[in-house]
Amino acid sequence: MAGKNDDNKPTVVLGVIGADVHAVGNQILEHALREAGFDVANIGVMVSQKEFVSAAIETGAEAIWVSSLYGHGEMDCRGLREKCIEAGIGDILIYVGGNLVVGKQDWEKVRKLFLDMGFDRVYPPGTLPEEAIADLEEDLKSRGVL
Amino acid sequence: MTIKDKRLDEELFLKEREEVLKAWPTGKEVDFDEAVAYHKSIPEERIMVNTLMKADQVGKTLIQPRAGVALPEEHIGLLQYLREEGEADLLPTTIDSYTRQNQYREAENGIKESREMGRSMLNGFPAVNHGVKVCRQVNEAVNVPVQVRHGTPDARLLAEITLAGGFTDFEGGGISYNIPYAKSVAIEDTIRYWQYVDRLVGYYQEHGVNINREPFGPLTGTLVPPSISHSVAIIEALLAARQGVKYLSLGYGQNGNLIQDVAAIQSLRELARDYLDKFGYDDVMVTTVFHQWMGGFPQDESKAYAVISWGAAAASLSRATKVIVKTPHEAMGIPTKEANAAGLKTTKQIVNMLQDQGLEQTHNMDEEKEMIIRETEQILNRVLELGDGDLVQGTVRAFSAGVMDIPFAPSKHNAGQVLPARDNQGAVRYLNFGNLPFSHDVKEYHREKLSERGQVEDREVDFQMVIDDIYAIGKGMLVGRPR
Repeated sequence: MAGKNDDNKPTVVLGVIGADVHAVGNQILEHALREAGFDVANIGVMVSQKEFVSAAIETGAEAIWVSSLYGHGEMDCRGLREKCIEAGIGDILIYVGGNLVVGKQDWEKVRKLFLDMGFDRVYPPGTLPEEAIADLEEDLKSRGVL
Repeated sequence: MTIKDKRLDEELFLKEREEVLKAWPTGKEVDFDEAVAYHKSIPEERIMVNTLMKADQVGKTLIQPRAGVALPEEHIGLLQYLREEGEADLLPTTIDSYTRQNQYREAENGIKESREMGRSMLNGFPAVNHGVKVCRQVNEAVNVPVQVRHGTPDARLLAEITLAGGFTDFEGGGISYNIPYAKSVAIEDTIRYWQYVDRLVGYYQEHGVNINREPFGPLTGTLVPPSISHSVAIIEALLAARQGVKYLSLGYGQNGNLIQDVAAIQSLRELARDYLDKFGYDDVMVTTVFHQWMGGFPQDESKAYAVISWGAAAASLSRATKVIVKTPHEAMGIPTKEANAAGLKTTKQIVNMLQDQGLEQTHNMDEEKEMIIRETEQILNRVLELGDGDLVQGTVRAFSAGVMDIPFAPSKHNAGQVLPARDNQGAVRYLNFGNLPFSHDVKEYHREKLSERGQVEDREVDFQMVIDDIYAIGKGMLVGRPR
């Protein structure tokens, strides 16, 4: 399924979840995604799960990129996949990245925690935009979108 | 109602207090007269104003961490550890992000989950939920002053609870806790909320209780040019003084070029004194706060210690009254208490070693200082013009006109046109001026500095340079040279 935009570029919904206001990475990701040829629906900081889902439906997005930098990610992200399923977009790609939990914890455990929540890809702090963009291109190709 | 830079009417203020205290059940614990009596029983060494004033007189730089966890017993243990093991001179109580958005139900849930999971699920201490008595237990458990640090656009209830709870210093302001910390709250609203907080501090002051106030200096913490953060700090200082605040700490976030960082603290002190005197607040005391690098950190802990050390050196050489310390876990999020103490000890060692050394006041430093002062004055003059002399209306109009504009802020009330980038020596300059009201020669100065870097790197001065600079320190450099 291609994006519903006229230009046929795939669309990514981008936002920072919960009560988190970290805006810098969000602005850089938007820039990097656009440079890489994606349409970006950047819904900014302090985004609820519902807003992510609505934006994905409105824009016919192929992927949702969730950022969480402030440590509450575990509580904020739980149930996002289920909300997508309820809304009829259960197979949408969902990536998450940032400082996802409070404190320095074993990364593999954190990764598994979020994979179990239904995220397709999970990124540690310090990941460069290029890395996640390459993964997105690969996932979209394997789905026949790109 | 149009908000003006006027002291809040006492009757209306007291009426508003009743409403504010009803917002969460712990508001009932606040009894102003009893709180004043409690403050008067606090020993000298736990009163922030005393400690800051003493340090300022002898030119000593105090060290303070950030720290806060969900549960009181753990929070107290954390503070005691940072005092004893980390040698912190001043302590914080960092408030969690749900409380910052007045989401007390979510905070309650976080407290519950933290008890169940056996680890803090919140990124700070939910002081409103814990209430006045628990706040006093926190303060009484340590022998140094404790400051409330947060990021709350509407902190009226938080201020009520924590000040009654014995804290002697409260961070924040109507601009510095809105534009970098909120998405859609109007500036006029936050200025009004913070007039209340400042009035409350002023009210304690009139009852003989010294409480320090600290506008949040670093703003978005990402390559913020000194003249932008100075403008915000001075406006918030003037607004606070209007409401009766007598002790202010003004802050600045390290940018990484030593000359610029030292010049920034020097100019902040001078500008603040100048403007406070000009507005008739010559009895308001000013101290300064230097924040170690607030942007992205290296993952590698040894490299992170280097960034921390450089911030400690700049803080000390600038003679800031206190330095807010980072930790070797910065790149990973919230640190363990051991990592937090490690950052403190690194800083303490450097601050001690530099205490008796001065930095020569070179021509470069004077030039840097002169530029920061000129730029800040140009911004503040236009703000006052836009408000027909009224600072509140001037600030509101300045933000909507982009005359004040904070880079990388999440707020939709911020123009977001200004872009900073480092020059060839790593000092932060303006790449896009947006609508900042700078004179032709000021703009020329910045253009020349950036074009010098562009020539050295043989590339255009554009947004890619900004991105490279944002990642640079995390990747082991100051200037984001092309890879």
